[in-house]
Amino acid sequence: MTHSGLHAAEADNEEFDHTDPRLSRFDLVKEGARRDGVQLVHYAPRFPVPGTRREARVVRAVGLLFFLSGLFATAFVVAYIWWPWRYQDGSNLSKLYTPVLGVSLGLSLACLGLGFVAWGKKLLPEEIAVQDRHDGGSPADEKKLTGETMLNMVDELGIKRRPLLAKTALLGMLPLGAVAVAPLIGGLIKNPHKPDILLHTGWDPSLNSGHPIAVCREDGTKIRPADVSIGGQMTVFPGIFNTDGDFVGASNDFADSPTLLIHLRQDDAQVLRSNLVHVPINEQNTWGNFVAYSKICTHAGCPASLYEQQTNRLLCPCHQSQFNILDNARPIFGPATRRLPMLPLTVADDGFFYAKSDYQVPVGPGFWERP
Amino acid sequence: MKKPKIDLAALPGEQATAIDDRYQIATPLRRLFNKVFPDHWSFLLGEIALYSFIVLLLTGTFLALFFDPSMEEVKYNGSYVPLQGITMSRAYETTLNLSFDVRGGLVMRQMHHWAALLFMAAIVVHMLRVFFTGAFRKPRELNWIIGISLFWLGFTEGFAGYSLPDDALSGTGLRIADAIMLSIPVVGSWVTTSLFGGEFPGMVILPRLYILHVFLLPGIILALIVVHLALLVKQKHTQWPGPGRTEHNVVGIRMFPAFSVKAGGFFMIVFAMIALLAGLFQINPIWLFGPYKASVVSAGSQPDWYVMFLDGSTRLMPAWEFRGSFFGYGHYTLPPLFWPTVVLPGLLTVLPMIYPFLEARFTKDKQAHHLLQRPRDVPTRTSLGAMAVTFYLVLLLSGGNDVIADKFDISLNAMTWMGRIGLLILPPLAYWVTHRVCLGLQQHDREVLAHGIETGIIKRLPDGRFVEVHQPLAEPDEHGHIQLEYEGWVVPKKMNRVGALKPTVRGFFRPVEDHPEEQEIEAAKREEITSGPRR
Amino acid sequence: MTASPPDKPRARGTARRATQSRLRRRVGAAARMIAALALVGSVYAAFVPGGAAQGAPAPSSDVSAGKTLFDTSCITCHGANAQGVAGRGPSLIGVGDASVEFQVSTGRMPAAGQSAQEIEKQPVFDETQAQQIGAYIQSLGGGPQLPEGNNLSSGGNIAQGGDLFRVNCSSCHAFGGGGGALSSGKFAPTLANATDRTIYAAMLSGPQNMPVFGDNQISPQEKRDIIAYIQNLKSDPAPGGLSIGRVGPVAEGLVIFLVGIVVLLFAMLWIAGKS
Repeated sequence: MTHSGLHAAEADNEEFDHTDPRLSRFDLVKEGARRDGVQLVHYAPRFPVPGTRREARVVRAVGLLFFLSGLFATAFVVAYIWWPWRYQDGSNLSKLYTPVLGVSLGLSLACLGLGFVAWGKKLLPEEIAVQDRHDGGSPADEKKLTGETMLNMVDELGIKRRPLLAKTALLGMLPLGAVAVAPLIGGLIKNPHKPDILLHTGWDPSLNSGHPIAVCREDGTKIRPADVSIGGQMTVFPGIFNTDGDFVGASNDFADSPTLLIHLRQDDAQVLRSNLVHVPINEQNTWGNFVAYSKICTHAGCPASLYEQQTNRLLCPCHQSQFNILDNARPIFGPATRRLPMLPLTVADDGFFYAKSDYQVPVGPGFWERP
Repeated sequence: MKKPKIDLAALPGEQATAIDDRYQIATPLRRLFNKVFPDHWSFLLGEIALYSFIVLLLTGTFLALFFDPSMEEVKYNGSYVPLQGITMSRAYETTLNLSFDVRGGLVMRQMHHWAALLFMAAIVVHMLRVFFTGAFRKPRELNWIIGISLFWLGFTEGFAGYSLPDDALSGTGLRIADAIMLSIPVVGSWVTTSLFGGEFPGMVILPRLYILHVFLLPGIILALIVVHLALLVKQKHTQWPGPGRTEHNVVGIRMFPAFSVKAGGFFMIVFAMIALLAGLFQINPIWLFGPYKASVVSAGSQPDWYVMFLDGSTRLMPAWEFRGSFFGYGHYTLPPLFWPTVVLPGLLTVLPMIYPFLEARFTKDKQAHHLLQRPRDVPTRTSLGAMAVTFYLVLLLSGGNDVIADKFDISLNAMTWMGRIGLLILPPLAYWVTHRVCLGLQQHDREVLAHGIETGIIKRLPDGRFVEVHQPLAEPDEHGHIQLEYEGWVVPKKMNRVGALKPTVRGFFRPVEDHPEEQEIEAAKREEITSGPRR
Repeated sequence: MTASPPDKPRARGTARRATQSRLRRRVGAAARMIAALALVGSVYAAFVPGGAAQGAPAPSSDVSAGKTLFDTSCITCHGANAQGVAGRGPSLIGVGDASVEFQVSTGRMPAAGQSAQEIEKQPVFDETQAQQIGAYIQSLGGGPQLPEGNNLSSGGNIAQGGDLFRVNCSSCHAFGGGGGALSSGKFAPTLANATDRTIYAAMLSGPQNMPVFGDNQISPQEKRDIIAYIQNLKSDPAPGGLSIGRVGPVAEGLVIFLVGIVVLLFAMLWIAGKS
């Protein structure tokens, strides 16, 4: 058991004459298997007599499967070339292009696969083969020889006799390891606090040379109080324009800035105003019956924008945190722990909404050094 | 010019000799041909993963010819009417073009995505098979660890792929990934800004994920698959106990031709399954989601199924945030996101990886094992597994709890609470139930061995009692006892399992009629041809 | 998002920027009115007026027919002259015909019983009757009013509508328009059966927990864009096979196990089975 099949075979080679003309091919196969540690304990053709009806039936079935495979593959190619493939709006044949390709390819492959498996299962000889596992470790002598060779290597290198070499080699290689890491770290690393991107959003007046940022729609137009109906909400963005004059406040460059502007009903707004004392920094942040909360969930950063205008809740669709709009967006359900920041809202003399300042607390998910 | 004379019949032989003269491969090649594989359906689960991976490489290469991970803004001008004129990233545009303006691009995209889902599903099911049968035990601990690494690599690879199209759903996923990394203590913000090249989303994350997705991760996965298979070949496959099967042999069929024909056929079947799924079921219709914008989200936002359990754990996590000062200096926050998305995956990596060593330590079993165990025979392990599976399932279902709430008219808040309570109560319950079931099954096996199969025949004894007649599995000894050892394998429990009933009718559409004369001939022939000692 | 020229006389006055102050006055008036109603104490809050009240009075025959219907079917809860019955139903003064038509034509009203969220049922009244009741309510106190005609998506820009849909609607109704769960058992309904008029009315009136999208926020043209997008979403078949509910990864995950793994399990059992 500890000898490999090869060794055993070499030992037996003398007795086995592979040129012996009396040996059948199967005898040679068995000998080969034996040398590989495999014994065929059961081996029998499924259809020993050629031309029986059962064999013919199986052969026909497998043949049919192969034929069908070719047929479906041809169908795939034909459909690929001639089926209207480009997307067209509405109900039309192009909507079936992908299904036709997928199904014809699938059926072709399935027929091929079924054919092969059926061939293997129904036509190949029944066999039970047993192979020696040769488990466990190497023979003791082999272990010993290899082990001593390795120890000899250490002796040859003379690390014990010349410890200085080992130490200096280590000293030399450590910085080399640093060299391997340095470009990766150095190239990737980016200080999150210079500039302090986690604490500032697009509502920071410094982006508008110190003037308050206008509250804008997605297209960059400013918003008047009358634009949001009572019981309505609007996703608003900082009114930032690039040097070409294009509105960029709604772009992903200001992914932390989308804000939900809500027009509360009178009595609800009353409740909110009475609750503002819970968060002193929010006390001056509402304007009339309007309130604006950051749309970025304080839990994982999804837009918490499922506004329920009667229950006055904001729901985040990612992890179901719920915030009470009438109490400074206090989290009342789910995994969120912090209120949605409230944007300091005002209406300037021109009648449009502006942000008096940036959010007074960091927007979005929490992090270790969050003030 | 003299026409060279080629003997076609001798050509293969000559070529083979020529090759062997140079490489001496006769012996190793024959050993490969003769390698014996055990034949059991449960050993094919890993193959599904392997074949899906091949399909992933094939379709992925096609997709890479057309996809551009750039985050530059462009205006869409393709054939999909509902998005024409919309500003989007180049990555999203090229994905749309792949779907609508590249011939057969959509079927390739869908095959790629379905193959990814199948890859992960097969890995998980394969892992469960390996766990519950004890195939991870010595000497296969390393391959178990590689398998778990493959799950997590596939997980990361899949998430990267899910993020690449830059549609609103994948962007939402990326944003959550950003928040998860932010939640890591001390270095979170540094890790995040370094990876995103600044603030989320920036311009570099997709190109970076792309190189991860098409080069680094597939390379590592491929290398690990090679090692996984090499170790399997070297250590040989485990096998179920049974007649003639010992710890020192492998009983099955040889690799060529029988095993390879079946395996090749199975590859085609797996490939076919993926193609059929791609043709029949639409997956990830990114054109409905629109380009990613930080302000856009959809009800029912979920990751792919293999990430869903982490989404579930995040949803169930109570709102616990720790704030404190560090040696009285500064204020520090540990967000609630940290526990379900960083600590939990960490545990789910480490615990299963060290499980083989823990089990060996607690059972004091340092032996190598090549025979598998029936789950019922190892109640503790099976129950622990059931507990883990239950834990996982609660998380998985919670990952889709909003869809469940919507489709089955259950309150969303109630779903969350059911998940929270279920996560605590169901796993221990599963442990207890599984343990009882295992013991019950064991007992029934022993009972049948000792008393025989229940025949269903009721006999009335002379004194009026009714008893069921049992068919003993062996001749009773002089004391009337049946001495049968449990062999760790299926005990026949029905009379037709021991040949008491005629086998069921063969044939699918119409019965296959047996020709007695053929059978007689066959039986005679077989007797002649069968070689080797018979057991 | 620029103001668009009106394409129907009834939708006149949508050149928003030009009429800002007039609209603002009207909204302000509406707000004061609601506040007053709230003080009366009977606001059940199922119907909230919003947007700009607008339009000429409907023909009086519709109004009288509507009054007849109202007096037989709605008066129990909403009271004589739609002034509301405390504890039963809110006043409908000022809710406009948009709200009435939404609630009645989708079968939400008459309500089966009082609950947090009325669900869509087989409508009791047909379209015409719903519009008649609407005309009657409109004649009582004005309010947001629906344009005429059953096709409110013609001339809509699908792509523009898609953009607006994803910012304003998809967070609750989902990308595929299949709806989604809200807090504590409430839900945003599927848009599968929604007609142009229903969608328009819902945006104008903000039924139940849906926010109001008045004409100042989403102009009539933009509403048409959105409706055009939603109707296209529904009429455009999935190009990649069965859409499996358009619920995304949850359904896909189910398919990979229930179809993929299960079919392959059978294949495996067959392959490894003894022949």
